[in-house]
Amino acid sequence: MFHRTRFSGGALLAAAALAGILGCNPTGGSNGGKTANGGSEDPIKIGLIASLNGELKPWGEDSMRGAQLAVKEFNDAGGLNGRKVELIVEDTASRPEQGKTATEKLLNEDQVLAVLGEVASGITQPAAEVCQAAGVPIIAIGATRVDITEIGEYVFRACFTDNFQGAAMAKFAYEDLGLRRVAMLTDKKQPYSTGLSDIFRKAFESFGGTIVAEEFYEGGNIDFQAQLTNIKAKNPDGLFCSGYFNEVGPIARQREALGLNVKMVGGDGWDSRELIQSGGTGIIGGFFCNHYHNSEDRDEVRNFVEAFKKEYGNEPATAMGALGYDAATILLDAIKRAEKIDSKSIRDAISTTKDLKGVSGSLSIGPDRNAQKPALVLEVKKDDFEPYKQVPFFVFEG
Amino acid sequence: MESLDWGQLPQQLVNGLQLGAIYALIALGYTMVYGVLKLINFAHGDVYMVGMYLAYYTAMQWFNREAMNPYVLLFLMLIISMVGCALLGLLIERVAYRPLRNAPRISVLITAIGVSLLLEHGGLLVFKTSPPPSIAQDVNVFSQTMDIFGVAVTQSRLVVFGVTVVLMFLLWYFVTQTQTGRAMRAVSHDFNTAALMGVNVSRIIGITFIIGSALAGAGGMMNATALGTPLTTFAGLLPGVKAFVAAVLGGIGNIPGAVVGGFIMGIAENLVVWGGLGGYKDAVAFVILIIILLLRPGGLFGSPVDKV
Repeated sequence: MFHRTRFSGGALLAAAALAGILGCNPTGGSNGGKTANGGSEDPIKIGLIASLNGELKPWGEDSMRGAQLAVKEFNDAGGLNGRKVELIVEDTASRPEQGKTATEKLLNEDQVLAVLGEVASGITQPAAEVCQAAGVPIIAIGATRVDITEIGEYVFRACFTDNFQGAAMAKFAYEDLGLRRVAMLTDKKQPYSTGLSDIFRKAFESFGGTIVAEEFYEGGNIDFQAQLTNIKAKNPDGLFCSGYFNEVGPIARQREALGLNVKMVGGDGWDSRELIQSGGTGIIGGFFCNHYHNSEDRDEVRNFVEAFKKEYGNEPATAMGALGYDAATILLDAIKRAEKIDSKSIRDAISTTKDLKGVSGSLSIGPDRNAQKPALVLEVKKDDFEPYKQVPFFVFEG
Repeated sequence: MESLDWGQLPQQLVNGLQLGAIYALIALGYTMVYGVLKLINFAHGDVYMVGMYLAYYTAMQWFNREAMNPYVLLFLMLIISMVGCALLGLLIERVAYRPLRNAPRISVLITAIGVSLLLEHGGLLVFKTSPPPSIAQDVNVFSQTMDIFGVAVTQSRLVVFGVTVVLMFLLWYFVTQTQTGRAMRAVSHDFNTAALMGVNVSRIIGITFIIGSALAGAGGMMNATALGTPLTTFAGLLPGVKAFVAAVLGGIGNIPGAVVGGFIMGIAENLVVWGGLGGYKDAVAFVILIIILLLRPGGLFGSPVDKV
């Protein structure tokens, strides 16, 4: 979902210094042929990287809580023939460079057999490169960028890709909303947004629709009147906004003020309650793609939300709670099925995951190591998002 | 590129005027401070950001907006943002700039960057930033849109424009028609001579910061309310840079120049999008800056002798 990579000068310096220190670390790297940690009665150690500080904190925290809940339930149910699983959490502070060091710490110091995380593609990437090099499987929680799992055979993900969500929303816009002439607004600064717009355009045109205009802005802009004026002149029947809620909210308000009366459609970058506040009445009736929703009418969801509430006192605020839980479920299931308890066997078991009952839908890992699962279209209502329709998994060759 | 849609030009010009009004408000602060101190106050954009947050807290937390007359609330937001920013500006001047009054100009400039970073990153500790909050739509009671000869004009933008013009008029009156304003022009003209002639220079500098910061606060409040901007502590960065360019464009140190520069920036941005280059909207500011520095370093209205 997230691809923000904001560096501050200080953090870059600190990262460079850290890299220097790590480079001289004689114990660093080289744990390729890792096998079981400790004797058979020691807990099985797995790691989690999450943004527990910084701008991604709400999503990172949810992902951690979801994973911790799954591990707790697994251990309470007897673990692996009485052997417990221990989840070691490291903070990435919403920073890519920190994602790398956190993963190195988990692998080198804690000797974990597998890693879960991150919610952001930009942070998952360096972590996945470390894991791939060390031969330790990693299951990304919310990284939707397509190339993440192309890093190598040890990199998996528990969520769908941007390719699928772009195609799914194009299908939904064409078939369910009956849109034919759609305009797009793209955040030129975010690879997530440009990538999602590209795939939406291809898919929507392949179904027979027309993209009548594509206008650009940059994350951080607050005035979108000029772009919306251009779009209005093209007389579209829909507006696809592939960016994040930060800008989609003001876009929605200004669209309405300008009298551009079209349906708004978007991706999982919309997933924050703040969208409703900043979008006002302009965003009501908009549709976006998400992984899951707390109010879905399925047993897995009800049980998960109840257990989460009991454990932490509130419902998960974002979809990352469920995805963290599902990523951990995939890993724990693989540990159960693995021939031996080592990184290689767990990797092989993950790759054969099939029809696992997850909170965010039925989970299968495809040959490209991506989770194959449905997308959930949510409708923006006055006070909340409401599940509208599930779009089943399909393969769209962009 | 597709051909230009001339029918949309009036709408884009109106959009540009609305955007330019806010740039002009912020640019005034840059230009006034430069006029008296020869200092580019890089923290000015962040003062604008604080104005946005003060408006947010006033509307969403400090008062019960359901129980209030919405017009009173808007007025309160404007006053609190302006007064809060004025005090902040005064504080910055006292703490960060005044001790360096006789230091080399480069030291003060670096201090200004330091203050800017302090507000942006220190703000993370003080303000709600994640997820970025925004002012609810119902706070803005001027949300209707009017159709004027086929041009869509939102009432709130019209109000923003009107308030901006009134504030600029008040500023013009203050600078040209009052004793303090005359003193300010004297300080801007010649710092040392003004002091020798009995002008209380420190007081004038303080007043300059108060006025400039209050205008930025007003801009922040109006933008946050009219547009529904999600707030982060970095929200002042880009508008600050653009307003700075506007001030340079008009001739830094020149008050009417800052206003004209602001409007030119706003209109230029909209015309770029109109021309089909929306992705380069933010680059326009810098292209304009480079062109001015090459062709007319003093700006449109700037000259060595005519300041403030």
